[in-house]
Amino acid sequence: MQELDDYINKVKSLPPAPRILPELLSLLRQDDVDSDRVVKLIAFDPGITAAVLRLCNSACFAGAAPAGDLHEAVSRLGFKQVYLLVAAVSGSKMLGSAQKGYGIDSGELWEHSVVAAVAAQSIARSCGDDESLAFTATLLHDLGKIVLAEALEHIYGELVESSQSQQTPLIETEKRLLGVQHAEIGGRLLARWNFPENIVSAVWFHHQPAGAQPHEKLAAYVYLGNMVAYFMGYGFGHHAFALRGRAEALSILNLKPECMPGYMIETFEQLQLVQSLVKINT
Amino acid sequence: MLAAPTPTSPSQKVIVGIAEMAVSSNPAVILTTYSLGSCLGIAIYDPVVRAGGLLHIMLPDSSINSAKAVKQPGMFVDTGVPALFRAAYQLRAEKHRMIICVAGGAQIMDSGGFFNIGTRNYEALTKLFAEHDLKIQAEQVGGMVNRTMHLNIATGEVRLKISNQPQEVILCKNSTTT
Repeated sequence: MQELDDYINKVKSLPPAPRILPELLSLLRQDDVDSDRVVKLIAFDPGITAAVLRLCNSACFAGAAPAGDLHEAVSRLGFKQVYLLVAAVSGSKMLGSAQKGYGIDSGELWEHSVVAAVAAQSIARSCGDDESLAFTATLLHDLGKIVLAEALEHIYGELVESSQSQQTPLIETEKRLLGVQHAEIGGRLLARWNFPENIVSAVWFHHQPAGAQPHEKLAAYVYLGNMVAYFMGYGFGHHAFALRGRAEALSILNLKPECMPGYMIETFEQLQLVQSLVKINT
Repeated sequence: MLAAPTPTSPSQKVIVGIAEMAVSSNPAVILTTYSLGSCLGIAIYDPVVRAGGLLHIMLPDSSINSAKAVKQPGMFVDTGVPALFRAAYQLRAEKHRMIICVAGGAQIMDSGGFFNIGTRNYEALTKLFAEHDLKIQAEQVGGMVNRTMHLNIATGEVRLKISNQPQEVILCKNSTTT
């Protein structure tokens, strides 16, 4: 744990903690959601409020009349959609920058994260599970790359050479060269930011979902959403596909490998939503 | 004889999205499809009429969703490839002259074959080509990289931008001389 904290503490430009996201998530968990509390919580951050209203009135979400304030936005779109917008706005602040250490340009990690999150949301929905939770965990799954990118920049050549010549997954190469890897760093950072344990665990184990027990289902949604994004070309970096296939991700959810094409098609259908979320920070 | 396009003529980039295709006989046009992942980019080109097309397929087989295949034939190998050839024939391209290049089909490390969409895409494509007696002139398929593919309609040249390499590479050079 100390080693993870040391890495996190070393980073010069750590993204700001998304204060309202964990709280909003716990509000959403309640059976009887109090609309006033949701609005008050979001209004706490004027930047997020403005971005949510802008998105709410964009072509992808706009209804007959524009929403003038958060109350209208919540009553028109519903909590789930407003939550999704808040998560996306918060996420873009954390994940929008370039990650040179991974060979990722500005915006690419964010785009990857949004596609993966939309895919995981579809999968969770089809399994009758909490889609907001799957969306959030998947949206933040690569947060650790923000932390490690700086450290990796100096050993970039070695990393590429190593995962190419030895055919090892990127995450194992990170562990060998740095002593830590991006999934555990991301999980640790989210824990420090008071995110619920299920999200922390799902991010921590997003490359080996069985390790996330008792939150292995959530970790499996993240794993599969991530996979769909890679398949569809929304995976970036010099060694994008250096990942291990984990059949357990399917068996945890009682899914068959044949279901993957269907989830790819569902994600394809939502690329317009993806594009409007991707453009949040531009 | 037609004059070759002057180097100063501005090229016109046409983006082919995922599950889409485009054909052209306009020598100013460069067809481009980004970030193939496990999808396949299929470029065809007739050097005599200087017409060609580019397709970005996502999945091997349309039987999973035949309604989708009607709306978006470019999504699947079995519907996209015939649609691409038919569109090129409209531009007087002929099957026996067609130069075919293929890229993409990336694969994760998956010895169990549970997530082998890239491999299955390529297998479906080569099977379809064999049935129609078509040969691939050049290909760069599989591996763990993302690829972006460009087809230059003036020359038939196919270029790739590969995610772990700084420079573009030529997959198939100046097909008009063949």
